Amino acid sequence: MDEAPGLSDQYRTASPWPVFVALGIPISELGLLFGLFPLAVGGLLLFCGSIAGMLKESGYVESTIRSLVVLSAILFAFGGALAFTEINLVTRGYATIAAAALLLVGGVAFELFVWDNKQAI
Amino acid sequence: MEVNGQLALTVLMGVFLITVAAWLARIEDWRSYTPLAGGGAVGGTKEQYVSEEKPSGLIRWLTTVDHKDIGMLYGVYSLIAFAVGGLMVVAMRIELADPSMTLLSNTFYNSLLTSHGITMLFLFGTPIIAAFSNYFIPLLIGADDMAFPRINAIAFWLLPPGALLIWAGFFPIPDIIPAQTAWTMYTPLSAGVGSGNQMNAGVDLMLLGLHLTGVSATMGAINFIATIFTERNEKVTWANLDIFSWTILTQSGLILFAFPLLGSAILMLLLDRNFGTAFFSVDGGAILWQHLFWFFGHPEVYILVLPPMGIVSLVLPRFAGRRLFGFKFVVYSTLAIGVLSFGVWAHHMFATGIDPRLRASFMAVSLAIAIPSAVKTFNWITTMWNGNIRLTTPMLFCIGFVSNFIIGGVTGVFLASIPIDLILHDTYYVVGHFHYIVMGAIAFAGFAGLYYWFPIYTGRMYQTTLGKWHFWLSMIGTNLTFFVMVLLGYGGMPRRYATYLPQFATMHQLATVGALILLVGQMIFVWNFVQSWLEGPKVEDGDPWDLGEDNLTTAEWTWFERKLQTAVTDGGEEEEAELATDGGETVTDADDE
Ligand code: HEM
Ligand SMILES: [Cu+2]
Repeated sequence: MDEAPGLSDQYRTASPWPVFVALGIPISELGLLFGLFPLAVGGLLLFCGSIAGMLKESGYVESTIRSLVVLSAILFAFGGALAFTEINLVTRGYATIAAAALLLVGGVAFELFVWDNKQAI
Repeated sequence: MEVNGQLALTVLMGVFLITVAAWLARIEDWRSYTPLAGGGAVGGTKEQYVSEEKPSGLIRWLTTVDHKDIGMLYGVYSLIAFAVGGLMVVAMRIELADPSMTLLSNTFYNSLLTSHGITMLFLFGTPIIAAFSNYFIPLLIGADDMAFPRINAIAFWLLPPGALLIWAGFFPIPDIIPAQTAWTMYTPLSAGVGSGNQMNAGVDLMLLGLHLTGVSATMGAINFIATIFTERNEKVTWANLDIFSWTILTQSGLILFAFPLLGSAILMLLLDRNFGTAFFSVDGGAILWQHLFWFFGHPEVYILVLPPMGIVSLVLPRFAGRRLFGFKFVVYSTLAIGVLSFGVWAHHMFATGIDPRLRASFMAVSLAIAIPSAVKTFNWITTMWNGNIRLTTPMLFCIGFVSNFIIGGVTGVFLASIPIDLILHDTYYVVGHFHYIVMGAIAFAGFAGLYYWFPIYTGRMYQTTLGKWHFWLSMIGTNLTFFVMVLLGYGGMPRRYATYLPQFATMHQLATVGALILLVGQMIFVWNFVQSWLEGPKVEDGDPWDLGEDNLTTAEWTWFERKLQTAVTDGGEEEEAELATDGGETVTDADDE
């Protein structure tokens, strides 16, 4: 503020990701709680994808793919625990695993096609 | 049918995700050709973490991570929630104008009761505080922004879905009914046990919504702790940190310990309801819920009251023409309340038959917590004593705060005494007690802040006469409604009922009249607020309250003054000189507030 009083009304700051992180949480919670497969998958994708985007944007990580891999590993572990241990919440477990797989595929695709494109320009 | 539903849901979800992705791609593209300020170096400069120029309109509000914008969003959100919760209770009070069931069914009354409580505490109370703290803490401590601007935005955006989930039972969704558990969500009722209808998914949705607001509050708290510890300007030391920042810091600490516990308890309840666990259905499960809930619940009441106390400690001295009396002791009492508030929770459980020795110790701590609260009260009174008092609207609300807080606090001390509590527990006396605090004090401090800083966040001035009408109607309405409730409690009227014995009718009617007076006052407020924001006279003076005359200017007004001047001169050169001749202080001084 001190350097540039008055400037603050020119919206120094914006990021598209927070809204979607915030939307991803309730959607995935609803999906997992009520066992609604598409909501669970979509919500987790939205949540993890936005986290990855935000990490990249803020410069906490160098590459998007690495955070996506980590996030998808966490989901794999969580989904596996739900589906294949005595917790035995099979639908929810598979939904989480599906989200993990999609995240991984999406990450690789993004890395191969989209990101390279941008670098080239 | 089943499969069709799933299919539809999948398609919907897919379309939604693709839309989001497309939208993000556009934003990201647009960002890639926005020149980066600060040299445009691609790398780790601090400036680069957010774009410097922003879109206009709706997109600006959806993407903002500026602490002031987020403060405004919190403010709008909480005022909408206040209106919703307020209209709910107006319906309830009208129902209570006669002893039998007339306007609302008993179950609908219970639904409104539940939603009113949760809305006011979690969707109005906590967010209105966050509105002030987001906007003003960085200004007061001379920070550029919050420590984690994006987390800040996430914390806000969790709230609208939270509200929708909490209110979901009222929407016309097939097979979903509103929760009727009351805000305390006591098991076994809330676990869906028994012949009632609380197994309904509406309760799950409410629990999820509550969970979201808890996550939001926790994120905000972490952010404030980090900001106040690490982002202070070097001129702002612990010794001259302002009182509002102290209360927000303490409040954030309380949130950090209290809200995650509520979140866990809610998850356990959800597991009990949906996945057949038995946390709360085994022997002792019901009392377990009460312990978990109140271990959160009592600190929550101080989470709600400490920052309003900070606002009053900040605003009241400005219009008394002197510094806050005993600044240090106000800070110490804030910290003392913060610590003690975790040691009193079982005063909500005196009537449950817990061990009498435990009860006695909780009684002792509950009485002890009255001491730091009284220290603050005496300090406010002493600050005004012989002061040069200016009865502006924010000052009136501050004085109203002190007055109502005294009644709310004293009734609380009585409740903390076991023999008295055993008689008054679950009567309207309790309702009177905590409404003196939550309406009479917390909401009043909120109004004080809204009026006091109105010029800063709108650039305009409100209409003073309407402000005074708002105050007096609120003050009279609050005291009529809630004092009558104290008396109703003495008479033995139990709380949370839609119907009652005819002997209580007169009192209840008085309370309803009080609530309607409050309603009129708030309608005036809304009109004044909106109309002045759009058409009020523009504030040209950076010191509209003439704080400079008493040397009581604080950092946010200095900032505002500079902002007005740069807007006019479009250059930073003369600022310093002008400021010095204005008589205001350029830096926040030690012991200033
Ligand atoms: C002077 C300090 C205070 C003391 C000693 C005190 C004491 C108590 C006691 C003993 C009860 C339980 C009554 C019962 O259910 O039988 C109670 C209820 C309550 N108090 Fe206070 N209180 C104090 C301040 C506050 C403050 C500052 C707030 C709000 C910010 C507050 C909000 C509440 C609420 C919401 C309840 C009702 C909870 C419920 O059963 O739904 N109290 N208070
Ligand atoms: Cu309490």
